[in-house]
Parts: sequence; C-alpha cells; structure tokens
Amino acid sequence: MSKSKNNIEKPLTVNQRRWRKFKSLKRGYYSLIILIVLYCLSFFLPILVNNRALMVKYEGNYYFPAFKDLVYVPILKNFVDPPFISGNTLGQEGNEAECRYRDLDEQYERENSDNYVIMPLYPYGPYEGISDGNKEFVPPFQSIDGMSPRIFGTDDGGRDVFVRMLYAFQISITFALLLTILEFLIGIPIGGMMGFFGGWFDILFQRFLEIWGSLPTLFLIIILKSLIEPEGVIAQFIMLLLLLSLFVWLSPAVQVRAQFLREKTRDYVAAAVSIGVPTSSILFKHILPNSLVPIVTSLPFAVVGGITALVSLDFLGFGLTPPAPSWGNMVSVGLERLSDGYWWLIVVPLSAMFLTLIAVVFIGEAIREAFDPKVFSRLR
Amino acid sequence: MLQYFLRRLLLTIPTFFGCTIVVFMIVQMAPGGPFEQRMLQLRSISQEGGGGSMTSNQTIPQSAIDELKRLYHYDRPLYEQYAIWLGIWPGEVESFKLKFGQKRLIGNGKYVFVEKSGDTYVVKDADNPSVIIEGWEFEKAVSDNNEPMIRIVRKKLAGIFTFDFGTSYKFRKPVIELIVDRLPISVQFGVIAFILSYSVCIYLGILKALNHNSKFDFVSSTLIFIAYSIPGWAFGAVLLLLFSTDTFLPIFPLGGFQSVDYDTFTIFEKILDRAYHFVLPSLAYVLAGFASLTMLMKNSLLETLSQDYIRTAYAKGIRETRVIWLHAMRNSIIPLAAHIGGIIAIFLAGSYLIETAFNIDGIGKLTIEAIRSRDYPVVFAFTVISVIITLVGSIISDLAIATVDPRIRFK
Repeated sequence: MSKSKNNIEKPLTVNQRRWRKFKSLKRGYYSLIILIVLYCLSFFLPILVNNRALMVKYEGNYYFPAFKDLVYVPILKNFVDPPFISGNTLGQEGNEAECRYRDLDEQYERENSDNYVIMPLYPYGPYEGISDGNKEFVPPFQSIDGMSPRIFGTDDGGRDVFVRMLYAFQISITFALLLTILEFLIGIPIGGMMGFFGGWFDILFQRFLEIWGSLPTLFLIIILKSLIEPEGVIAQFIMLLLLLSLFVWLSPAVQVRAQFLREKTRDYVAAAVSIGVPTSSILFKHILPNSLVPIVTSLPFAVVGGITALVSLDFLGFGLTPPAPSWGNMVSVGLERLSDGYWWLIVVPLSAMFLTLIAVVFIGEAIREAFDPKVFSRLR
Repeated sequence: MLQYFLRRLLLTIPTFFGCTIVVFMIVQMAPGGPFEQRMLQLRSISQEGGGGSMTSNQTIPQSAIDELKRLYHYDRPLYEQYAIWLGIWPGEVESFKLKFGQKRLIGNGKYVFVEKSGDTYVVKDADNPSVIIEGWEFEKAVSDNNEPMIRIVRKKLAGIFTFDFGTSYKFRKPVIELIVDRLPISVQFGVIAFILSYSVCIYLGILKALNHNSKFDFVSSTLIFIAYSIPGWAFGAVLLLLFSTDTFLPIFPLGGFQSVDYDTFTIFEKILDRAYHFVLPSLAYVLAGFASLTMLMKNSLLETLSQDYIRTAYAKGIRETRVIWLHAMRNSIIPLAAHIGGIIAIFLAGSYLIETAFNIDGIGKLTIEAIRSRDYPVVFAFTVISVIITLVGSIISDLAIATVDPRIRFK
C-alpha cells in the first residue's frame, strides 16, 4: 500500500531530468568524475610529488618543507618566493642554499642518528634541473647515480618529465577553466544586450564582431605576447589568459545573441512586460535562464579550446616559458631533436594532453545529449 | 549572381578597413613595437659611445630622435600615418639633409648635390652635374649648430595597396618577394588538405547518417572524438615519431617539403618526391577539420532525411539512392558550403603549427621565425595577408551557399 503512495512523487524538474540523463551516459559521467578527482588531487601534488621532504626530524626539531608548497600553488610559486630551509640548518654542511633533501636522507642514514627524512611518494620536483645534479635526456624507467628511477625520464634541462607532466595538467586545466569563465563573462552580457536591445547597438556590435572575427587570432596573440614579454610564470599566465579572452568571447556572444533574439519574442516575455516587470529582471530572471542551453552545451568544448590553445602556444614557444611545466614545451624540444630519438618527450606530454582532452570531449558529448535529446526518425 | 557577388564584395570593404585599423593600432601602439626597438638600439649605441651617462634622455640627441620619428612617419597625424601605411597617401621613402653644394651619398653609390635655381631648388648628379634628378621635394632645415640646410625628400605610395610591405630586416629582401616565394608551398598543402577532407568527410558523414545508431556509426563516432581531441600538429608530431625515426618504422622523410637535390630530378621524380614528402603533413592537416566536418555532414543529412518531402519522395516509389543523392543531398550540403570559409581559416591557423612541426618552409614557419627575430615587416605583412585570406574565405563561403541554395541569391 505504501508503495502506491510513493508513486505520487513530485515530477522531476527539467534540470533533474537532464542530470539523470547525463548520469545514464556512462562514458561522459565517469570522465567527469575522473577529471574532477584528478584535478582536486593535483592541488596536493606538492606533497605527493616533490623534491622537498614531507617531514624532517633534525636534532629534536621537526620541519615540514613540502607543506609550504601546498600553500603556494605551483604557478604562484614564482610570484611569492617560497621561504626555503637552507642546508646548513638541517646539518648539510656548507650548503647556504636550499637543502637537498634526497642527499640529506642518505646522509642521515649514513650517520645512523635519530634524525630522519620522509620524502614524498615520488621525490623529484618540477623545477629542479641540471644545476641540482640531474642529468638531461635520461630515458624512462632508468635510475641514474643510484637515485630512484625516473618514470618517464628527463628533458633537455634535466627536469623530470613525469613531474612536469603532472604539474602541467593542473596548469592547463586551471588555465582552460579560467579562460572559459572569462569568455562567458564577456560574451554573455554583450551577446545578450545585442539580442535584447537590437537596433543601432546590435548593428554596431555586429560589425565589430565581424572585424574581430576576421583577425588571425592565434597570430595576433603571438605578436602581442612577443611584444610585451612579461617576466615570470604568473605574469605570463595572466597575460595569456587576458589576451586569449580578448578573442574567444565571440562565439558565446553570437550564440547568446541568437537565443535572446528568439526568446524576446516569446509570450512569456510579453506577459512579463505587460504586468510591468522591470527590464533588468526580465533580462536576468526570465530570458537568461532560457537562453543558457547552447552555452552550457558548448562549455566543455570551450575548455578543450583553452587547453589546445595553451599547448599550441607553448609548442611554438610563445606560451609559458621553461622551466614552467608545460606539455607543449616538452613536445617542441622532442621535435627539435627528433633524430636523437627522445620519444618520451613527445609521447608522454601528448598522451597526457590527449587523455585530458578526450575526457572533456566525452563530458561535452554527454552534456549535449542530456540537454538536447534529438531523435531522428527516418521515414521511408 | 553577379549582383550578389558585387554586393557581398562591397560589404567586405568596411570589414577590411576595420581589421587593418586594428592591425595598424597594434603596430603603432604596442609597447616594444618596431619604433621602440629602434630607439632601444640607438640608446644602447649612444650609451656605449657616450661615456656611460646615466640619464638616457641626454644620451640620444634630439635630432636623431626626430630623424627616427620621420622614418616611421611618427611626425604625422595618426590618420595620415594610417593612410601612408595603407599606401593611399604618399609617404617619405627617402630623406636626406645636406648643405648647399655639399655632395651626399643617396644609396647605390650615387652622390648628389643641391643647387638653387630661382625660387626653387634642383637636385643634381654629382658625377654628371648637367643631369637634374627629378622627383625630389624640398624642405628648409637647420643643422645641429643652427646652420641653414636643405632637406630633400622623395615621396612614394608604398603600403598594403601597392603590395609594398617594406624590406625584411633578416633576409634583406622585399617582403613581398619572400611571401611570393613561400606562399605556393603553403597553398599546396591547403588545397590538398581541403580536397581530401571534403571528399573523405562528406562520404563518411553520409555513411554515418544512413547507418545511424549502427555499430559502424558507434565505432566511427569514437574515432571522430579521438580525432577531435588531437590538434593537427600534435598528430603530426606522433606521425613523425612513428614513421620518420628509428623508434618504429622509418619510411617517411624527417620533415621538409622536398629533397635537397630536388632541382636535379626529372619532372616525374619531382612529382614523386613531393608526394612522398606530402603524405604525413597532409594527414596532419586533414585531421584539423576532420571531426567537425564529418559530424556536420551527418547531422545535416539526418535532419533532412526526417523531413516530410523525403517521405513524399519515398512514397512516390523513387529508389533510395535517388532520394538520398538528389533530394536529400541538395539541402544537406548547405551547412557544409557555409563551412568552407571556416576551413580556410583553420588551415591558415594550422599552417604555422604544422609547418613548424614538419619543418616546412612555408609562409607559416616564415612568420613564426620572423616574430622570434623581430622582423616586423614580415610579421605585419602576414597579418594583413591572413586578414585578406579570411575575408576571401568568407566571400567564398557565401558564394558557395548562394550556389547550392537558390533562396539566398536574390535577397
């Protein structure tokens, strides 16, 4: 009896139905979960993969150098110089610069004292290169000088490819997400106003969009980047973000404009106008939510565009400059020295990029399917 | 049709001017642009010679700054600079300051001097004083220590419209020559990629639409997702690694677009050699527009096939192939026609990435290198040319739509 009572449930809202449909599309759903988990994990990279120790016990004192990196997100590192612990304070004689924790670990073991070092799971950092005693172009799965093996080898600067790949994942996703947010923040208001107000405003901006759209986007970004040449990874990151957002807002603006043009002629808008609803709440409460479907479905593809743009710019050498962890930069080194056979420099970053992109594309496809279930019927 | 074409052409003119204004603003305004680079050079030279004076303003004489400003037309109002840059206003191409009767080298080993004749002046060849050289304009000037001098100026229409993009700093050649040299290589790739992608994508799209939801559709869709997730140049990098190096199967050349001894080949060998070098880059180019084109074709055909008039055609008893190819295709091809211009833009953008990856001496690689070495005339020439190509692409798109869709023609 109770079962029949439960049948009188509230009907599902549109968004609930979309979410259900999305969940039923396993490929996209699992891609979303995996990406979210990996992205969240990537913020803990400094304590999972780092050349700084998790914990050092030295003569009764405890130090936690790696945790300091957690607070300074990788890209912010160049912005605020991380306070490091010098080698002298930890008993590494004659080292005024930052302590070399891997050596310290061995030293403590030789001395057989109470002191100990706990290293992260993978004890190499994204920025340490030849000057820190690493060899360049070490092939994958090989250990050098008795150190623990390098999973994917090292690159031209002696930096660990595996570590750079992981840190670059975080930078790429962060970049693409921020770019997408900026893109929509600029595109939606402009497109919406064009569609809603029409008239001169619309004509003016349409001409502007046409001009802006005819410019060679990637090329202008390269020119501007090379003219301004900001110092430091964080400045470059922000500049690339701003430069790209100058150009990418066009497509959401065009989409939203078309949606607003269509929606403003609907009866519900006429009804709202006739009972005296103020223009702003017609715009934001009534038309906007109804115009967002193409925006939401295009969101993952905007993320794909953002990641591809960053990797392409890095590849050409006009993105983030080394030692910033970047996929494109490693590929360009691998391609320049193609005949030397440093295949891991090409395969590793491109595979990482490919797996990331395909996960995002799967999410996008599932979202599109959930929002816009087109059923084609062939009549014959 | 002609009327439509002309109207469409007229509409592009304001867009072209708009785009050139934006490019011009970047040339003029951007910090670190050509003018500022020259200033920096000048500053470093004068600092080396000037005994290390610390204040930079003092080290460059005002007259040198003025000369530099003249050279870049910075002494003119902005609209005039723009007009000179476009090549619709005569700009100074040569300008020399000299005293009366003084000999001066004006390039090409030629010396001239200026003489007063009545109210005006004449420029004469120093080696052969009876010859008057025409085409100079005169301006009064003063030297650094206030002696009267005369400035002779030669003005010329030199800009975008006269295809005069200046001289490359690096190659010491007119930019237009460089571009004419390299453009054909890039265009060859573009055309091959264009033909290949349209023929493959249209066919695949039709097959997918006709077998919607079948196993073939599912498998090919997955492949298309994969293709969508790889940028063309990245695919090219993997191809190079697999088929050009010893890591897997070295059967194709390590980049480039022709062999070193290409010029010694017979015509047949030349074609073969080109084809051999073209395989991998063309594949990379095709991938760039592959996914979107195929899905566009499939979705558009699917939508047409669910229309009532197709049902009518079937009901009349027309053969299926005829319904699809004659009735459905006519309407399904319209979005693809609209896509042509976009594809041209994609190939253009892909050209610098793929040419860099494959080390092909096309226009894309040329300009990327020009940016690296700050060879501004080449950079801005390419920017303007890309704008023109994009605009031509959009005209071609519209013409293609008008051809396949008769409703548009008489609007």
